[in-house]
Amino acid sequence: MKTVSLYVDKDTFVHKLEPVTKLWYAFTSVILSFIFPSIWMGLLFLSISVFLSLVARVLKNMVGFVSAVLVVSLTMLVIQGMFYKENATLVFTIGDLKFYKEGLVHATLLIIRIVNMITAFGLLILTTRPSDMVTNLVQKGLSPKLGYILSSVLQIIPQMLSAASTIIDAQRSRGLETEGNFSQKLKAFFALIGPLVLSSLVEARERAVAIEVRGFGATKRPTFVKLIPETRTDRFVKFIMKFVLVIAVVWRVTLWILK
Amino acid sequence: MAQMVNERSIKIENLWFAYKSEEYVLKGISLTIDERPTAIVGQNGAGKTTFVKLLKALLKPTKGDIWIFGQNTKDTTAAKLAKTVGLVFQNPSDQIFKSKVLDEVMFGPLNVFKDKHKAYENSLRALEIVGLSDKKEEHPYDLTLSERKLLCLASVLAMEPEVIILDEPTIAQDRYSTKLISEIIQQLVSLRKFVITITHDMDFVLENFSRTIVFTDGVVISDGETEKVLSDDRALEKAHLEVPWLIKLARRIGVNYDEIKNLRV
Amino acid sequence: MDTEVKKIVVENLSYTYPLSKIKALDNVSFSIFPGESVGIIGRNGAGKSTLCLALTGLVPSFFGGKRSGRVLIDGTDVLDIPKEKLVRKIGLVLQNPFSQISGAKMTVFEEVAFGLENVGLERDEILEKVEKILRRLDLWSKRDQNPFELSGGQLQRLAIASVLALEPEILVLDEPTSQLDPQGTTEVFEVLSELKKMGITIILVEHKFEKLVEHVDKLIFLHEGKLIGFSTPEEIFSMREIDEYNVGEPIYTSVCKKLNARKPNGKYPVHFEEAVEVLKGALKRHGTNG
Repeated sequence: MKTVSLYVDKDTFVHKLEPVTKLWYAFTSVILSFIFPSIWMGLLFLSISVFLSLVARVLKNMVGFVSAVLVVSLTMLVIQGMFYKENATLVFTIGDLKFYKEGLVHATLLIIRIVNMITAFGLLILTTRPSDMVTNLVQKGLSPKLGYILSSVLQIIPQMLSAASTIIDAQRSRGLETEGNFSQKLKAFFALIGPLVLSSLVEARERAVAIEVRGFGATKRPTFVKLIPETRTDRFVKFIMKFVLVIAVVWRVTLWILK
Repeated sequence: MAQMVNERSIKIENLWFAYKSEEYVLKGISLTIDERPTAIVGQNGAGKTTFVKLLKALLKPTKGDIWIFGQNTKDTTAAKLAKTVGLVFQNPSDQIFKSKVLDEVMFGPLNVFKDKHKAYENSLRALEIVGLSDKKEEHPYDLTLSERKLLCLASVLAMEPEVIILDEPTIAQDRYSTKLISEIIQQLVSLRKFVITITHDMDFVLENFSRTIVFTDGVVISDGETEKVLSDDRALEKAHLEVPWLIKLARRIGVNYDEIKNLRV
Repeated sequence: MDTEVKKIVVENLSYTYPLSKIKALDNVSFSIFPGESVGIIGRNGAGKSTLCLALTGLVPSFFGGKRSGRVLIDGTDVLDIPKEKLVRKIGLVLQNPFSQISGAKMTVFEEVAFGLENVGLERDEILEKVEKILRRLDLWSKRDQNPFELSGGQLQRLAIASVLALEPEILVLDEPTSQLDPQGTTEVFEVLSELKKMGITIILVEHKFEKLVEHVDKLIFLHEGKLIGFSTPEEIFSMREIDEYNVGEPIYTSVCKKLNARKPNGKYPVHFEEAVEVLKGALKRHGTNG
């Protein structure tokens, strides 16, 4: 594992879209599903995301993401169905347990919003190389320093993990037991965290020197070797997203004022 | 198999090891390590570090056995073995976490002896051996890299193990520190400790270790008296190692190595 | 003073790290001509790394602390040279191969391009320069690999390539082979020979004295922050302070010292073949070792 990345390398229309385009889509779909208290808005974007993940051939991975929240969703349905404070209309019972409409609806809305968020951002993550994402953002004006931090974190984490295993070996060699009761485990934890943090800081300092001598931060507008093209499709999609977002916000604010 | 008492050796019997299935990093190693200071040499990736981790029970053999003074490594843990076998890791950053040099050295002995007084006494003595007594109240990261490596050595010495393994002791050390380490090794040998090292420094090996084992691709291609092994050009070339300078010198001058081996300031 | 002809001029340089009371460098002065290769030797803590950092201006601009005196490159103090120009004048390679990868790039090619991106060169120019340096350092075949997959020796070559991509005329290397195996060490020294032929000014901190003397014209000898000597390797290793301060010398030179076997000019030989000649004679006189 060289980087912490869920990117699935395929050659599809979705993959070729500019990262920022996909980011706009994700934001728009999430914001809209939260602005409108209707299940249908969430379902609409959810179906679009699922369709796109089919096109991008990452449907399997997407299912994986969603199933991660399956348990939480069911739990929410049960709890809200039974105990939501505005519960009034009984829908069904299972033995002694009473389930009410208001709670079930409320929970469903919440679940749709969450799953929608996961699929929209999941689409972004599965079809975009992290480094391309960062390059794109920096091209659009994100500070190169922040961009560097984001990029390096993804590769540095696996490095830290492998450093951790060496550190565990070193401390075990000095008689540190890693099994045993809680206080032993706690002792082990500190003996592991200490060197990990310290050596990471030392390495971060050395790395900072290394990029400094390669001119990092010399100009505010660095060049980019990696080209992230912005096609007409990208511009079109972004325009649609912005348009829809503006309409939605205006509509919602109007409704709120009229209330 | 019954545990053999008073067995002063490290026996490796038909050792095979693989991290991932069927990709063997060590292939059928059999040898016995005795009191002679022993150097294990070879290119990066030849299996030296893996071998040493197996000696320390940090890894267990995939096939075969290792007996440390009669104790099979499969029946024990690295922590329990710390009393007998000490391993000085190459990179001090992999183990330092205390804010005082003395505390850092005491960590090992406290685990092993569980006697604060003994740990303290041992630590002071160990710091003296490595020449860091005057820095015992300092923060480890205020020391130079070279001093931190000596600190790690002290941490291991303080546990009084019978076997001391040094992983690349001379990397990042200047000549003075290297001399100091040589002196410490001689001291340990005179106390009948087993001293084993992994290193690339052929000159350091020639000076301090009477036995040399050469690893290449997971097998031993040469094993014996250091002077002989390090004069075997073919084996050294196969292992991508260099002939030590003093042997090169003796050859070019046309004398035996013996004649010049003690001629150094 | 004729500071224009000299490549690097260090004038009365003193430096103290922040929160420290001891001077890491104490009134150091020397000059280096274009194309020269100079080694720096001394005990651990002598100030060798600090001097390397001072030459690039990182000390004090990155590390803080107090500097007095001047470091001039091509006649201008390094602190007065804007960063994008400075990195194209002088490059720095450190000892740990792993902590010199930026960690932000996924391929060797992009890694080497990183420095050129930072200074804002045109994209076409960057592509050209990166290819050139990768081919020169025999890394072209690895251009699509992830840097973290390379061996120690390859990583150091990558670090050197990444710095050289900026085409500095001066390269400073602080113990570049210290963490490498013999093969990696050979690779790095081969690169240094190449660079010397290209006319690059090289400053090299190295403990492997036997290899060092074959690649440098002069040595800077530091002890506790002070400049003790600046001369040919032969001159330096024959100084009494080398023995007094326990700095060490090439192994065969050590043998010569024990037998007081000197060259006709009165100095101890620091090159292997010279040592062989001198010792042949000396051992005849010394007789067989009893």
